Amino acid sequence: MGIFSYSREALENLRIADPAILAPLVDVESARKAHLTKDHAKRDKRMSLRDAIAEFVQDGDIATDSGFAYVRTPHQAYFEMMRQGKKGLHFIGSPNTNQSYLINYGVCAYSHNSYVGAEMRGSDRNYSRQLLNGRVTILSEWSHGSMAQGFKAAQLGAPGVFSKQLLGSDILRFNPYVKVMQNPMRVDPDPVTFIPALYPDVTVIHVHAADKYGNARIYGPAVNDVALAAAARKVIITAEEIVPEMDMRYNNQGVVIPFVCVDAVVELPYGAVPGNMPGCYYWSRQWWEKFLRWGTLSDENIREFLDYWVMDSKDPFDFVEKLGGAKWVALSRRMTKTAEYDNEDDGYNFAYQSYKPGSDSGIYY
Amino acid sequence: MEALKPANPLEMIAYVLSLQIRDHQVVYVGTGLPMVAAILARKTHAPHITMVYESGGQDPIPGDMPWSVGDPFTWRKSALIQEMAYSFAQAYNGYVDIAFLGFAQVDMYGNVNTHQIGADFLHPKVRLTGSGGNNDLTSLTENIVLVGLHAPDKFPLRVDFITSVGHLNGGDSRKEAGLPGNGPVAVVTNAGVLDFEPVTKRMRVQSLQPGMTFDLAQICTGFELLRPDGDIPVTPVPDPAILEILRTQVDPHGVFTKIPGL
Repeated sequence: MGIFSYSREALENLRIADPAILAPLVDVESARKAHLTKDHAKRDKRMSLRDAIAEFVQDGDIATDSGFAYVRTPHQAYFEMMRQGKKGLHFIGSPNTNQSYLINYGVCAYSHNSYVGAEMRGSDRNYSRQLLNGRVTILSEWSHGSMAQGFKAAQLGAPGVFSKQLLGSDILRFNPYVKVMQNPMRVDPDPVTFIPALYPDVTVIHVHAADKYGNARIYGPAVNDVALAAAARKVIITAEEIVPEMDMRYNNQGVVIPFVCVDAVVELPYGAVPGNMPGCYYWSRQWWEKFLRWGTLSDENIREFLDYWVMDSKDPFDFVEKLGGAKWVALSRRMTKTAEYDNEDDGYNFAYQSYKPGSDSGIYY
Repeated sequence: MEALKPANPLEMIAYVLSLQIRDHQVVYVGTGLPMVAAILARKTHAPHITMVYESGGQDPIPGDMPWSVGDPFTWRKSALIQEMAYSFAQAYNGYVDIAFLGFAQVDMYGNVNTHQIGADFLHPKVRLTGSGGNNDLTSLTENIVLVGLHAPDKFPLRVDFITSVGHLNGGDSRKEAGLPGNGPVAVVTNAGVLDFEPVTKRMRVQSLQPGMTFDLAQICTGFELLRPDGDIPVTPVPDPAILEILRTQVDPHGVFTKIPGL
């Protein structure tokens, strides 16, 4: 492992007594070694979600929030981490919205933070409460783009990138990794930030289709997932469907993740539920609203909510049944395909009964 | 025919914000009122703008109001969707004309806080969302327009956390910190439009909404506002046709612009 230099001010501001906890995220040598020693053979990597999470997600790992908060995000894999009682993981991602509820179950204990919340549905009161109660420790603060550059640097095979993001901000005072330097290409004063390449331990990426070897195809926003697959020491692909390898070869324009990076392939229809999976299903809007407007009000509420939805469901099919079963599947697919203009939108109405505490319709479209 | 209800404060903000856009510009859009304003501009005076979203969506065809900046409506039949790192890179490389962003707090130099209320990072009164793309776009984009409600606690003398650097300490300090672009050029609120005095880079009243006075705007602000020379112009009010478009085509479900009781 390398010997790293951290911003002393950030270590003090974040009260990080032992910076050893920060090292794996930027340790290219151990990431390279993990990549070198993993099985490079092109072999069938299919397994169940339960086995994939049990084998490749270890307590204390640096895990990622992938997709975009609730777009093509592997919620069902996070839920399996909760059910298996995984503990003390670090979460990193831009956005890093789903770290929040994982804290309540002890899955997430450390955060590399960029954004947590639900846009117009407000800031996340649960995260604020867990932070104040000391149930999550922030190890570094980022913006979306600067963190994205760190992942991208890893994919580029570069030790880091120079950037113009974060300059002058207080984020730098709470990020031990990022350095402000003079641009070495310039003679005149030109401050830049140096963003190191970022190497998470494990990433789960939910995709539209994968073959049994792990070649994986994404439709819609890829966000940071192409870079994450290249960077992470361990990669789990969950896929709406498993297609023959020939399908990947004939439809090769959308293949974004190469099989050599991938450790496990999980056939997992509805793996992004209750989020949006482009082409497949829309958000369960009322589910998120109930979660944010009622669930996040107290630790008891969030427990009651997630015990019912997650701990008392064994897989995505249980979850989909609770959302409304076959009717939910059809309406939800109609909604996302209409939003994408692959279904007729003339006369279609996106209005819905928004959730209000005390008037729970029990409908989750 | 029943007379059209006058614009409520959120509709006024959306309209005034839309006027910041000129046709054919590339507009980087955050969630909420920025989306409403950009879509309104496209349906009225600026039909040829290109909208860009941080989840990667780029130049979508028109559709309903996105539920989030990752919504399929943000990349509806887009010719391409950019990865996040590349999407922000467009702002640094000079392909974005203007970005619209919200704030929890903004100070007299246009520095923005979306991190926390209370100055102690480890023990804030309330932890907010963090940066998201706010720092990236404020750092990189040529022109920034900030949008939010006008109240003393949202316009403090010092923000509790500088998430995004506007004009930092005023004067040339933004440039000296290494940041490109003009930084914030306007702040659109329910009081009116504020800009930044060219030398000191301090916030200045540019125009006021009908019925608003400078003194009232000052009372709603936690620092001393600069006053422009001469009479302060009145912010334009949307004519009924534009209001109709806003209510029936842009935000028909009132997700971002409806105020209960108004």
